[in-house]
Amino acid sequence: MALDKNRRLQYGTQGFWLWLLQRFSGLLLVLLVLVHGWVTHFSPIADMQAGITDEVVTFDVVKQRLAQGIFIVLDFALLGAVLYHGLNGVRNILLEWKPAANRQLIVNVGLWTLGIAAFAVGARALLVFIL
Amino acid sequence: MVTLVRTLLLHSGTSRDGHTRTRVGWWAWLLQRISGVLLVGYLFLHIGVISTSQAGSETFDGVLKFVQHPLFATLDIVLIAVILYHAFNGIRVIFFDMGVGIRHQAALVWVCAVLTLVGTAAATYLSLPLIFR
Repeated sequence: MALDKNRRLQYGTQGFWLWLLQRFSGLLLVLLVLVHGWVTHFSPIADMQAGITDEVVTFDVVKQRLAQGIFIVLDFALLGAVLYHGLNGVRNILLEWKPAANRQLIVNVGLWTLGIAAFAVGARALLVFIL
Repeated sequence: MVTLVRTLLLHSGTSRDGHTRTRVGWWAWLLQRISGVLLVGYLFLHIGVISTSQAGSETFDGVLKFVQHPLFATLDIVLIAVILYHAFNGIRVIFFDMGVGIRHQAALVWVCAVLTLVGTAAATYLSLPLIFR
């Protein structure tokens, strides 16, 4: 990647697409977090009050929900979208200090590593209920 | 292609960037950052808690019983307020990116604040069985 006169990485149109993706992932998250909040945390309150389950979230409740394919898709989409949106937001904040190219690379590689690792941990946790 | 999408989405008006010059808009921007960083912190906590499923159903249920204590259910209200603010203000910013409503940016901060309060109140009402049990 080329460097500008201040030894910062030149992204060209890449910054525009990152900006656009931050907006789209944000809008997607409005939907996904709303569904997640309602289905996982609010809707089962009635079951708890009826004595069907001890707590709103238990191993069995999660296992039953993830037996439905649609929630597997929703949970993995939520995990990926929220990690992307959150870590790209952190990146936007860090890059406002206008670090030099080598520091920018550390930020990019560091956040991607963190994101992939967190996705792996989250995915492994979900697979316990699915497999 | 990029120019076309940029023109369609940005209109040239956004480059005036008036919303960062007034005080209420600056606070909205700052709160968006702070709420975003808080939510990233919460996200990693959340993934950590759910990953206890690796240790089996008994461990998971024990941890989940702890984090569903009424004290945490009360703290969840704060979480919901932070999420709602970040979502509403995020939508506000997207409108400006499309060239919509920039002239009313300050008033729209207060619309976001009211929507956040109303949403949090509704969530609090729905959460009452988790707090008083």
